[in-house]
Amino acid sequence: MSLAHEFTYERPKTVDEVLLLKRQFGSKAFILAGGTDLIVNIKEGMLTPDLLIDIKEVAELKKLSLNGEMLFIGASISFDELIDRSEVQSYFPMLHDACKTVASHGVRTRATVIGNICSAVPSLDSAPALLCHDAIVHCASFDAKRDIPIREWFLAPRKTALQDIEIVTGISIPKVPESAGIYVKLGRYGGEDLAQAGWGIMLSRDLQYRIAHCALGPVPKRAAKIEALLDGNELSDSLIAEAIKLIPEEISPITDIRSSKEYRTHVSGVMLKRGLYAARDRLHGKKVDAAKLLGGIA
Amino acid sequence: MKDYKYIGTDVTRIDALEKISGAAIYGDDIDFGANLLHAELVQSTMAHAIIKSIDISEALKVKGVYKIFTGKDFPYKFGLYMKDRYIFAQDKVRFVGEQIAAVIAFSPGAAKRAAELVKVEYEALPAVLDQMEALKDDTALLHPELADYPHVPWFFPKPGTNIAHWRKTRKGDLDKGFSEADFILEDTYQVPRYAHCAIETHVAVGKFDHSGRLTVWSSSQSPHTQRHLFAEALGLSHKDVRVIAPHVGGGFGGKAGVTMEIIPAALATKLKGYAVKLRYSREQEFINTYQRLGVVAKIKMGVKKDGTITALDHKIYWDAGAYVEYGANVVNAVGLSAIGPYRIHNVSIDSVCVYTNLPPGGAYRGFGYSEMLFGLESHITRIANELGLDQIEFRRKNAIKAGDLTAYGAKMNPNGLIECIDKVQQAIEWGKKPSSNDPTKVIGQGFSLFWKAPAMPPNASSSAFLKFNEDATINLIISGMDIGQGYQTVMAQIAAEILSVPPGKIRVETPDTDRNPYEWQTVASHITWSSGNAVKKAALDAREQILSLINRVYHYPIDELYLEDEAVKCQTDPAFLLPLKNFVVDGIMTRDGTFKGGPINARGMFMPEFSSTNGDPETSQGGHPNVHYTVGAAALNLEIDRETGKMRVLKAALAIDAGKALNPDLVRGQITGGLLQGLATVLYEDMRYNDKGKLLNPNFTDYKIPTSMDVPDEIIPIIVEVPQPDGPFGARGIGEHTMLPAAPMIANAVEDALGIRIKEMPITAEKVALAVLNKDKQ
Repeated sequence: MSLAHEFTYERPKTVDEVLLLKRQFGSKAFILAGGTDLIVNIKEGMLTPDLLIDIKEVAELKKLSLNGEMLFIGASISFDELIDRSEVQSYFPMLHDACKTVASHGVRTRATVIGNICSAVPSLDSAPALLCHDAIVHCASFDAKRDIPIREWFLAPRKTALQDIEIVTGISIPKVPESAGIYVKLGRYGGEDLAQAGWGIMLSRDLQYRIAHCALGPVPKRAAKIEALLDGNELSDSLIAEAIKLIPEEISPITDIRSSKEYRTHVSGVMLKRGLYAARDRLHGKKVDAAKLLGGIA
Repeated sequence: MKDYKYIGTDVTRIDALEKISGAAIYGDDIDFGANLLHAELVQSTMAHAIIKSIDISEALKVKGVYKIFTGKDFPYKFGLYMKDRYIFAQDKVRFVGEQIAAVIAFSPGAAKRAAELVKVEYEALPAVLDQMEALKDDTALLHPELADYPHVPWFFPKPGTNIAHWRKTRKGDLDKGFSEADFILEDTYQVPRYAHCAIETHVAVGKFDHSGRLTVWSSSQSPHTQRHLFAEALGLSHKDVRVIAPHVGGGFGGKAGVTMEIIPAALATKLKGYAVKLRYSREQEFINTYQRLGVVAKIKMGVKKDGTITALDHKIYWDAGAYVEYGANVVNAVGLSAIGPYRIHNVSIDSVCVYTNLPPGGAYRGFGYSEMLFGLESHITRIANELGLDQIEFRRKNAIKAGDLTAYGAKMNPNGLIECIDKVQQAIEWGKKPSSNDPTKVIGQGFSLFWKAPAMPPNASSSAFLKFNEDATINLIISGMDIGQGYQTVMAQIAAEILSVPPGKIRVETPDTDRNPYEWQTVASHITWSSGNAVKKAALDAREQILSLINRVYHYPIDELYLEDEAVKCQTDPAFLLPLKNFVVDGIMTRDGTFKGGPINARGMFMPEFSSTNGDPETSQGGHPNVHYTVGAAALNLEIDRETGKMRVLKAALAIDAGKALNPDLVRGQITGGLLQGLATVLYEDMRYNDKGKLLNPNFTDYKIPTSMDVPDEIIPIIVEVPQPDGPFGARGIGEHTMLPAAPMIANAVEDALGIRIKEMPITAEKVALAVLNKDKQ
């Protein structure tokens, strides 16, 4: 692969060095962690950075920990590292499902969760889980730190609340007690694919529902109307039929090369129904393979 | 049946260690040192336009740029079967992606930067993006000079139209056939374009030295054909052109003939002393190599109540793209064979090759037969169902047998089609569909027959050199390409069988046209058969040399001598045993101290001398354009999720008549791989163009090829062996055929499960789900 664009490359060892470079270069400096999006974008001529800041040597950004009720994922943690942690599967099953569906095994060994949310593409697999868990994005600039709730993070396709001089240092994800969740993804075949539709569905023992979707609008978002309809109610076919009726109010899908608006809308109903029952099954201790929920080869 | 030691056994691939250890050298691996230049193409952004001007001034300023060439530097035409292409666009571009200029730089990055700065001014012409549109009277003419293009004698272009070739096949009396029919079904089927997606993209390096000799290293299925076309287009003598073909990372037809390789070859002639490399990106691989042709097929078939097919009118319109120098032969091949593996007395086939402003169509595994069979095998199932006949019985009743006449009047070769049908029917347990406990899942069964002949010029030939080394190991010097099918291994098995030297002691290298003997191309699934015959003859030549020598020295009659376990033995004298290594290079010392014999060097050649393309242009009758057909049958059980449309192949069985499976393991591998590739074309692959002729999915993000996750749950490979009389040990080709039945099988299974007939490929989950929704609404 040849890159037409030329740029400078730095590999600092501390967060402060990273932030100093970022203050200097602003929007012309890009953070290189996994590089699975960034390098492709440079190759395609979509990005023309002056500087790439490789953060893989920054020890502080390699942190992955579960402290009590909170999972912390540092900026250079790959999807594979997350998938391999059993507590992620136990306490964050929706996030675990989602991580497993991101790209292919080879890409997941490099691609990072933080890089994923920074790309802010509408089809972001990790977004529904982060939205359902009310995750907090930790940002830093040379002069200040700030925390941004995930609901305020996604502004538009490929646009986040992050400022040019800031970087994301990590993300904190609270557990949701006595709950279970699942991520249901629509792809075109058994191999890796971008989501044509993604639904994250969580329910708790006290019948509180958290539901979010991706690839069905300009940004991933929670489905507040459906949550309100379901909250406090036991699942039933008739209740779910009511919820499915609300889908057109919650989503704004487009027709593109991957799928039509009509199909995205139709399958969203199937995904919501199967996802709700599957989440309930998980809550009751049953094993459910999210990849098999929609049929076909997976 | 005769016992063989190596033929018919699962010999481990002789190139396996080289490939899995990373020792194998591919085109991009070769180090050319400091004198290597890199070429990057400036490609058309318009589907059809006049080139008004090309401004290279800004591009020349880029640091590291050496030179820039455009069409006026290379006013040469080229093409395999019809010379309708230029090395670079001249006054016109005819598809998005067509090469207009090349930037030559000392690094690939500099070349790419500069290529983006070359300014091309166009005057747009109306773009014709659909073959049916291209056939209309008032449509723009893509090649006004069509009448002047040289072409092979079996093409029939229609100057003044966009028809580059029209193959007409007529047999019997069509009207009479339809009047005898109790039932006639007429419908249209459509197949889009597809990309090969070999994992290694095209790469070629040209070097023209100061003595005037051109060497090209290229990732190729066709080194000798490339040499010929380079010599022809560039005005060089064949002896001064050398093509070296290292290992190839997949071809599937995409590296047959000549596409981008001519660019570095031509550029080199103006860059004396340098090597110049062109390596395609994945996007270029999608937009400017051969693609599988798109098809609109109109089928009308007449049948009697008892299931006898009385007539077939098959009209196939091919979207062959901007240049058809190779693709027109796909059209030709199918135009001769669009009856499928059936005995039909009254036939009309029109196979029409149409120019469009899309990338050039060319060879793709199956050579048009997949596209043709999608319609035909869908049609066959529908007719059987309409008549209330079992679709397998219907096929069995009409299946072509040895000695039946093909559409062009030649006799069908011996074949095991009925045995294939029987074995597949049994393996898939036809009629006993598994049921699902899940109410959202339905299961359908699909069936399809297939056939295909190699499409070759009548004089396409193969040859082989074979030389013994001191330790009685062998170098087998041949020029076919191992593109994954196991060619080198199977050729070694053939030589091994005749010479009693184990395949592991035979080295087969990738070819160099200076040293290796002529081979037409590694295409058409003909290489096992054709090159195999040449290798067999070379081995027999070596054997004859060996036995003659023994006869001369020891006076045993030749017919009492034989080779076994790397030694010469004698039937009448069990005590006689002379290891090959004792004499195959050094000769045999006689009593007086003199030596007899010397190095054993052998050769073999094969050309199908019975083949001819002299059929009547209006009927195709007469001549013998196809050497033989390979046939088979396949079936599958398909589980469909009614709500999402997602499909899962629970079980697939495919039987193919290999004549003789020289290496059954490799045949089974082809069955698995071919089925998977075929299933991908029907279930999710699809090239999508916008209304300006721009490909929307030139990447694996949106053009999906199967992964290990997409393999059917169970595949039952079945090998049938009805010997091919002129094949090596009875073998015939099977490589392409294994993907042919996939698409119609899926279409037939979808109808079986849901009562919905889908007539346009691909049959995606989305298409199925929306069709179910529509049906439920009605």
